[in-house]
Amino acid sequence: MIYAVAVFAPLFGSLVSGLLGRAIGDRAAEAVSILCMLVAAVLGPLACFQLVSGEADAGSVYLANWIEAGRFHVTWQLRYDTLSAAMVAMVTFVSMLIHVYSIGYMAHDAYPHYRFFSYLSLFTFSMLMLVTADNLLQLFFGWEGVGLCSYLLIGYWYDRPSANAAAIKAFIVNRIGDLAFAVGVALVFFKFGSIEFSTIFPAIPQHQADTYSVLGGTFPAFEVIGVLLFIGAMGKSAQIGLHVWLPDAMEGPTPVSALIHAATMVTAGVFLVARMSPLYEFAPFALGMVTFIGATTALFAATIGCAQNDIKRVIAYSTCSQLGYMFTAAGVGAFQVSIFHLMTHAFFKALLFLSAGSVIHAMSDEQDMRKMGGLGRMIPWTCTVMWIGSLALSGIPPFAGYYSKDAIIAASFASGTGIGMYGFVCTVLAAFLTAFYSWRLLIMTFHGKPRADHHVLEHVHESPWVMIGPLLVLALGALIAGKLLDPWFIGEDWQAFWNGSIFNAPNNHVLAALESVPPWAELAPLVMGLAGIALAYLMYMVFPLLPMRLATQFRGIYLFLLNKWYFDELYDAIFVRPAIRLARTLWQTGDATLIDGVPNGLAELTVDGSRQAVKIQTGSLAVYAFVMLIGVVLLVGIFLVSR
Amino acid sequence: MNWVLALPEIVLSLVAMVILIFGVLRQDDSFFLSSMFALGGFLLAALLVLTTGSGIGYHGQFVADAFSSLVKILILAGAGLSLILSLDYNRHNHIARFEFPVLMLLSVTGMMVMASASNLMTLYLGLELQSLGLYVLAAFARDDLRSSEAGLKYFVLSALASGLLLYGVSLVYGFSGTMDFAALARTLTIPQSASPGLIVGIVFVLVGLAFKISAVPFHMWTPDVYEGAPTPVTAFFSTAPKVAAFALLLRTMATPFGHQLIAWQTLIIIVSVASMILGALAAIGQSNIKRLMAYSSIGHMGYALIGLAVGTPEGVRGVLIYLIVYVFMSAGTFACIIAMQRRGRPLELITDLNGLSATDPALALAMAIFMFSMAGVPPLAGFFGKLYVFLAAVQGGLWTLAVIGVLTSVVGSYYYLRIVKLMYFDAPEEPFDPRPTALSFVAGATGLFTAFFFVFPAPFVGAAQAAAKVLFG
Amino acid sequence: MIANIAFYVCSIILLASAALVVSSRNPVHSVLFLILSFFNAAVLFLIAGAEFLALILVIVYVGAVAVLFLFVVMMLDIDFAELRSGFQRYLPVGATVGAVLFVELVFVLGGWEFAPQAPVLRFSPAPANVSNTAALGRLLYTDYIFLFQAAGILLLVAMIGAIVLTLRDRKTSRHQSIRAQTDRTVAETLELVTVTVGAGVKEIGILRPKPVDPEPVEEVHHGN
Repeated sequence: MIYAVAVFAPLFGSLVSGLLGRAIGDRAAEAVSILCMLVAAVLGPLACFQLVSGEADAGSVYLANWIEAGRFHVTWQLRYDTLSAAMVAMVTFVSMLIHVYSIGYMAHDAYPHYRFFSYLSLFTFSMLMLVTADNLLQLFFGWEGVGLCSYLLIGYWYDRPSANAAAIKAFIVNRIGDLAFAVGVALVFFKFGSIEFSTIFPAIPQHQADTYSVLGGTFPAFEVIGVLLFIGAMGKSAQIGLHVWLPDAMEGPTPVSALIHAATMVTAGVFLVARMSPLYEFAPFALGMVTFIGATTALFAATIGCAQNDIKRVIAYSTCSQLGYMFTAAGVGAFQVSIFHLMTHAFFKALLFLSAGSVIHAMSDEQDMRKMGGLGRMIPWTCTVMWIGSLALSGIPPFAGYYSKDAIIAASFASGTGIGMYGFVCTVLAAFLTAFYSWRLLIMTFHGKPRADHHVLEHVHESPWVMIGPLLVLALGALIAGKLLDPWFIGEDWQAFWNGSIFNAPNNHVLAALESVPPWAELAPLVMGLAGIALAYLMYMVFPLLPMRLATQFRGIYLFLLNKWYFDELYDAIFVRPAIRLARTLWQTGDATLIDGVPNGLAELTVDGSRQAVKIQTGSLAVYAFVMLIGVVLLVGIFLVSR
Repeated sequence: MNWVLALPEIVLSLVAMVILIFGVLRQDDSFFLSSMFALGGFLLAALLVLTTGSGIGYHGQFVADAFSSLVKILILAGAGLSLILSLDYNRHNHIARFEFPVLMLLSVTGMMVMASASNLMTLYLGLELQSLGLYVLAAFARDDLRSSEAGLKYFVLSALASGLLLYGVSLVYGFSGTMDFAALARTLTIPQSASPGLIVGIVFVLVGLAFKISAVPFHMWTPDVYEGAPTPVTAFFSTAPKVAAFALLLRTMATPFGHQLIAWQTLIIIVSVASMILGALAAIGQSNIKRLMAYSSIGHMGYALIGLAVGTPEGVRGVLIYLIVYVFMSAGTFACIIAMQRRGRPLELITDLNGLSATDPALALAMAIFMFSMAGVPPLAGFFGKLYVFLAAVQGGLWTLAVIGVLTSVVGSYYYLRIVKLMYFDAPEEPFDPRPTALSFVAGATGLFTAFFFVFPAPFVGAAQAAAKVLFG
Repeated sequence: MIANIAFYVCSIILLASAALVVSSRNPVHSVLFLILSFFNAAVLFLIAGAEFLALILVIVYVGAVAVLFLFVVMMLDIDFAELRSGFQRYLPVGATVGAVLFVELVFVLGGWEFAPQAPVLRFSPAPANVSNTAALGRLLYTDYIFLFQAAGILLLVAMIGAIVLTLRDRKTSRHQSIRAQTDRTVAETLELVTVTVGAGVKEIGILRPKPVDPEPVEEVHHGN
């Protein structure tokens, strides 16, 4: 019950502020949506706690029937197991903090605020629907809801062309993934005759040997489904290839970025893989692909992060990279570890984004780090929490990231497979780069000499308490969440904690092997992290001119990184421009002449028919009666003939 | 004898008589109060329908089951919505008399009797009770020439249809020896009892009922009556009686004559195809929106008939879902049409809607939802209505019917979308009069239903399924 | 035997007069033929042993309905030439449709086969030792009570409908106000005058009615 309330409170808040917002005013709309989020943020973690402490039993909350069509039954049902409950707890809590923060951040926005809060709450609700789904269709509903809300929020400042373009880009890139996901769901239905998790999961072993024959090749069914679902996850979680929307999503207001990157949206892909763990455990190839894509993204996004100058973009690429970590862990079978990192990451990434927002707020909407510097003394609170966030991100003990990130690296090593080794190398290198760009960001923003002009500097001020408060809470989380959650999520109690909500194949001992990783492999990420920090300190604090010189020296590499490996240009050349050309050809020859021609002719025919049909409608009673009688005669005649 | 089964009907007719006495005794204007009483009566009857059990009563003449309950609720909903629509309209047009709700109540009683008919005599009496009220309602604006003409036309043609129906009933009775549905069904299981005379009787019964649902070629009255009758009456015409007549058609064809499917299937297919085509074509040239709705209703009945033509429980389920959707969609559309008023004068031309989105965006949105839904655009309710019917047709192997259905709905969507185009892309005219709350309520409620049907279709589909199962039980 | 002869004679007369109802030129003749056909139908009922129905048919239809028809026909000045012109115009179509339908029905009913159980189902014995009327009443008020009541409501609707469509309050129409009649006192309307013997109008003067307060004329909106 409290579980359902936690899920639906944001919807209520969204509806009230969205539909009645104009009537009750901004302040009331804000108050309602935040009140609802508070309720959710109390009840969500409470529900999770009840489950973990054994006060409540795992199960599901039945809401209503949804679709009944032949064999196809779908219900609205909230799944109540550790995985879902933990996600609900995290999403409601972080989202609540972001809501509170938004009061301060959006205070000076020109638009009415109720719309923003309504979208924000709806976004949260969609994500909650996604994580509590008891079947794939409901999950898809949340999945699309999240996509829609991200579109609305990224394009929130709808009079900015760049915001609109970014919103459309996010939507379309997600759509590519969604298509694969939808096909995957359809295949699941054909294979199992159901899309309810409770029906699918027990039936998995029976279908283990099934195959599909496509294009002359034979593929195991689970591999195909697994890969399709993973492509969907790639779109949502911005993995390499489908990552292009994420950095552009910065066009939305900063709380939105925080929500997208921390609690909702991007984590959906990771969640999906963990949720479908019973299937993935029987799809080794698909899992290998997950690790490969994840590890590559982790490294690739980190390299780009090193060369960006927009403070939010750096953090955005760091999200991309961290999601790569999560997939790496999931790919080697350590789903628990990836969810653990998802949780800790939610805290410190929300923290980083919100404090970046606080910096931007202080700098009068300036986002370019080259125009910052030396802000540390002027906005000490923001500086402190950002430090904490960066320490957590870089995996320095005892901050949260250390526990989860090191566990991922250790898990990829412990898996012992070739692909695992690839993951290990990539993630260790990425750890170095992560530490480097984090400190690059810190130093360029808070330390050294101020580079902003004095107009801006005069206005630099610490954010109001309504913004600092959530930051402090998140900082606390970034500080202790790792230590606190470690024993439950991946420590000795993990089996009792997860209670079967994530499936591990009998031969999957990754979690047990975590403890027996050789010391050098365990220390590697920490060492690399410290080295990254040291390098950043050297380059940006001690020899501030060095980066410039390096950039001119290795201009090719620098531009390559600055332009994000030219992914956007590549896509533009391969997909966008040919598509436009094709569309133009089709429009001119196909549509304008052929397709328009046929319906126009048909339409004229139809209009003629219409004229004929109306002609007998003379208004004369006798004609009407005769038509009826002729109808009777015809029907009887037809009956006589057909007998 | 279990007289409790007919409690909803009894209560409705009692309410009607009480209002009659009340209205006669109270000399001054009592239309509003009577209408409120009548609405209360509808509500009470709906409650009773839900609570009274099922069974067969009155010597096998009356049956209450899942099917009749669903249909009755639908009839009451349609009638209630139409009555709400009439509140302000009747006052403005000087036809606010207490007889209006009384006639509506008695007519609805007839419809409910139709829904529960399990004997050809009950069928006929219910049908006549319904029709007699409808004639008078159609002519209710007796000083308006078009209204009187509508009433008269409907009366004369309906009498002809009743005659045909009665002739059919007499043939059926003569050749089978019984009018009881259950006994007929038992008799017709034996092949040799299905004599040609009996089957022709069925054909005549079919014709009489096809007239009531205005299926082609028995549709001729529809455009004139829709146009001439006062608009709330038109709304009533297009909801409750359609449901009742269709329910009767379903029960008659499925229960007593179910074994003769081969005999009547072809006829239903022909009528269905003709209705779909005429509904789609003839509406294109219309300039009066009420006339357009008449042709639209003819088309919709054609689609619904597909489900009957299939002759399976799935088909009947499809029809019922279609009717559920259609009642609310239709009531909402008429709410929008009634809202078309300038300086107290009701407007009926399609072009009066020009640029409505600029002058009254809420009304335009509601109208657009209904139009899209009628055109069958997913995910609106109308789409699901068509989906389930076409699905049944495909499952039953009637591919051609489904294909024609899809094609005609494409043609039909032209005139629905034209209205949307007029509202959103044409230059606005003078705004309409402010809307009465009752209209906004009906349009809003039905609009929400239409727009969000896809979120909760399961209870409706479940109810329709249960109802369909009874007929083939 | 006699019953059979009577049946056929009456049936023939019934059909013939029914045809004449439709086809005769004079409307009064039509009504009279209608009455004739009612009488013959009543005889058919008698032959079937339903004396109550036969008498009801005569009393109600001939005595009331047909006479009412006659009144209406005589009161309304119907232009039959005009009606006939329509008849002429639609005759070809009507005749064709009618003929085809007739042929079809002949085809269909030519087989004339009943369902095997039909005679059993149709046979409902009249209860013994009970008059025809009582038997009918028993059925009507027990087994068919529902239909009986429904028919009653049907008639009620017809009544309401007739009133709704035709009754209107005109300003010129005169109503009897019983209350006003019974309420008035002698003093209001009557003046007692002592008249001396031999006095003429000249002496007494002409007495005029007292000016009464005009009754408030109710504004009635019935769609005027």
